[in-house]
Amino acid sequence: MATLNLNALGKTYPGGVTAASDVSAEISDGEFVVLVGPSGCGKSTILRMIAGLETITTGQLDIDGSRVNDREPGERDIAMVFQNYALYPHMSVRKNMEYGLKNEGLPKAQIAERISEAARTLRLEGYLDRKPRQLSGGQRQRVAMGRAIVRQPKVFLFDEPLSNLDAKLRTELRAELKALHHRLGATFIYVTHDQVEAMSLADRIIIMNAGRVEQIGTPMDLYLRPATRFVAEFIGSPSMNMLEGRIGADRASLSFDSAPPLSLRGDLPGVEGQRIALGVRPEHLDLAGDSAGRIDLSVRFVEQLGADTVVHGAVSGAEVPLAVRLAGVQRHETGTVLPLSYAPGNLHLFDADSGRRLEVEAG
Amino acid sequence: MVENRPILNFVTHAVLILGVLFLCFPVWMALVASTHGPDALSKSPIPLWFGGQGWDNYTQLLSAGLPAAGGVPIGMMMLNSLIMALVITFGKIAISIISAYAIVYFRFPFRMAFFWMIFLTLMLPVEVRILPTFDVVTKLGMLNTYAGLTIPLIASATATFLFRQFFLTIPDELVEAARIDRAGPVRFFIDILLPMSRTNIAALFIILFIYGWNQYLWPLLVTTDEALYTVVMGIQRMVNSGESLPVWHFVMGTAVLGMIPPVVVVVAMQKLFVKGLVESEK
Amino acid sequence: MQKRVIFRSKSLPYLLVLPQIVITLVFFFWPSYQALESSFFIEDAFGFSREWVGLRNYAELFADPGYLRSFRTTLIFGLSVAALALGMSLGLAVAANRVLRAAQVYRTLLIWPYAVAPALAGVIWYFLMNPSMGIVAYWLEGLGVEWNHYVNGDQALLLVVVAAAWKQVSYNFLFFLAGLQSIPKSLIEAAAIDRAGPIRRFWTITLPLLSPTTFFLLVVNLVYAFFDTFALIHATTEGGPADATSVLVFRVYNTGFIGQDYGSSAAQSVILMALVMGMTFIQFRYVERKVNY
Repeated sequence: MATLNLNALGKTYPGGVTAASDVSAEISDGEFVVLVGPSGCGKSTILRMIAGLETITTGQLDIDGSRVNDREPGERDIAMVFQNYALYPHMSVRKNMEYGLKNEGLPKAQIAERISEAARTLRLEGYLDRKPRQLSGGQRQRVAMGRAIVRQPKVFLFDEPLSNLDAKLRTELRAELKALHHRLGATFIYVTHDQVEAMSLADRIIIMNAGRVEQIGTPMDLYLRPATRFVAEFIGSPSMNMLEGRIGADRASLSFDSAPPLSLRGDLPGVEGQRIALGVRPEHLDLAGDSAGRIDLSVRFVEQLGADTVVHGAVSGAEVPLAVRLAGVQRHETGTVLPLSYAPGNLHLFDADSGRRLEVEAG
Repeated sequence: MVENRPILNFVTHAVLILGVLFLCFPVWMALVASTHGPDALSKSPIPLWFGGQGWDNYTQLLSAGLPAAGGVPIGMMMLNSLIMALVITFGKIAISIISAYAIVYFRFPFRMAFFWMIFLTLMLPVEVRILPTFDVVTKLGMLNTYAGLTIPLIASATATFLFRQFFLTIPDELVEAARIDRAGPVRFFIDILLPMSRTNIAALFIILFIYGWNQYLWPLLVTTDEALYTVVMGIQRMVNSGESLPVWHFVMGTAVLGMIPPVVVVVAMQKLFVKGLVESEK
Repeated sequence: MQKRVIFRSKSLPYLLVLPQIVITLVFFFWPSYQALESSFFIEDAFGFSREWVGLRNYAELFADPGYLRSFRTTLIFGLSVAALALGMSLGLAVAANRVLRAAQVYRTLLIWPYAVAPALAGVIWYFLMNPSMGIVAYWLEGLGVEWNHYVNGDQALLLVVVAAAWKQVSYNFLFFLAGLQSIPKSLIEAAAIDRAGPIRRFWTITLPLLSPTTFFLLVVNLVYAFFDTFALIHATTEGGPADATSVLVFRVYNTGFIGQDYGSSAAQSVILMALVMGMTFIQFRYVERKVNY
């Protein structure tokens, strides 16, 4: 069990490409932290720097208070689970799990005990003498986890471990992972590009973009109070609607390039004429009674998902795309106009240039 | 096959059977001739079916050899061929796999220079630099030694490239997993890379064994001591043995003996052989 | 050709490439350099003295009708071997690709000559065509052809061509078969739907798609005929009669070992090296190879 301290970590390759810069975070003992972001955002680089597979070019990494920048991966007391499993193809499941322990010089009896325990936990007892190629994708991934568990490391690292699996298996293993974390109580650091995976697994999420941290927080922090426009759009599906416009003369309304102005109660932050983006999640919009409509949606197409219905269209009279998520099965014809309402507390405002969140007092 | 026309099928099989006959007939005749005595082979037409002297011919060849050609037993020549072929094969595999490992898994100054040096050996076959290579071996005192017979032949660009190609297809994550499992470069090579290369090593073994066994020019140059003669090179002394006419039943017997080991290897390990051949050229 | 992960070690990689590099330097580069150097000298037969002569060894070679004839012989030999071996193996590969059952049996029966040493192949054909008792010579006589490669240079050349081609068929066959099997079936089926018959399909679809393989094999066959058949010729005709089968590699050997003319032999070596380099370059430049470097 361990705490990690990422102190302004950065990675610049010899060619001059910077994969990550100034990444700082404190990860406490037993925490499940998910690094999430689009591909190329630097999340894997951070994980690999923690593992010791990538040299750290700037900053400092502490595990349990001691600097580990220059330690070999084998000496950091970490274990890692890879996307493509990275099982040794010529070794049986048992041999795969044993390998690290043998290299560590552990006594045979202890190795056997750890392996049988891990096999029981992961329901792999019947497969210990099989080769990886004789296993299904889900089983292989469990072996990879087993290889990590038997080492009883301070920190578990996961690099998109579920991405190669089909959707159903992914959901299953997600639950197993969560249960595993509970049972082991170890520190988990998990990389994924899938925001659903991040939201469902994490105690805390580190969301990254273009090599920088956008926000660190609990899943609900990120959902309810996204610190940047990027976070707002990345978390949630379908993603948050964004309407770009300017703060009106009275600082109580928004004027849009191509839509009627929207009046908001209370003072808007920022200065008059500032370009901003107004965000509202599709699930936070609802059908309004005829009179109460604050924004009109002209319907383009409808996705019937069963539990709910997503209506895609544009702000009426403008070309700004807008989606709304409505509960239950609903029918709306293309071309009709739906008046929508929203709770003022569910609006998010971002500076159009910096993407930073602007605190809004009212709606 | 898109259509099933009887005539086309007939032609197909006719072509194949003719091809098989063309390839097998010479060896058939060699086998037949090796079972006759000198009388049956002295006048045309020679018999097309086996004679009764096979046992006698082969026992004499293997144990005593041919007096007119130095009297070296073919059995000994075959042993020499085997030693030469095996040393060349294992030598090539060993030095190629380690140099490919260095070139793929390490970054070091002159790495590419070494790669190109190995590549250039492709362009310098023994046949085009016979004399100076002979000089070098003489200067090193390696004439008439097994070392002289084998070591100069064990550099291999082909094998190095094959291993390099194979290593490049191994996912990086496997090395990373090994590093996390506390395996250093030597351990990774022995525990992971070597076992994973088994198929490639076996396929190369076949190709290189044939290469080694069939060496002719090199043994011809570096061996004057009859105790080091190999069978493929030794046969030439029987064919062109001065004034006397070649004793064809013995020559053919030697030819048959000389081709048995490599042919058996190819036929017995056909699948691996085909894989090795086609892949080592790509 | 870069691995993302590498091991950090200063001396280990050098240790690993060392054996191969030492052998390469000692037995490849040093002799090659010596060949280049001594091609500019004339040495007396005992090696006591030598004299710098510049390009004279080369000039003499190209003025020597015997050497020029060797060039011609080598070219005829190489092209004939390639044509014969490629033609036969292509026919066999196309046929074998059509056979569904028994394909494995045919393949086994067709590939084993690859393992036969060129010297042995030569000796066996030498025996078959022996003018006094060879069975093939006997049959030829029945057809009215008088066969005697001891006297007739063209016949001697034909003999070594057939023996060399015989051995090379297996190799070519395997590559053609692999090439044919990598042509997508759907392409052939599409052509059949476009009303192309089997022969037309062969000429318009199969053969063009096989052309990389064919070109690759052509170069390989020429290299084989130019360099690897030394054994075949040395064990049989020994270059004769009257130099009719004296190909370039045989001449290098003869000039150096029998004639003891080191300077000329070295010059011939250098010319051959240039030839191999040219052919290797062509092979890598124009043939699709998977080596990226």
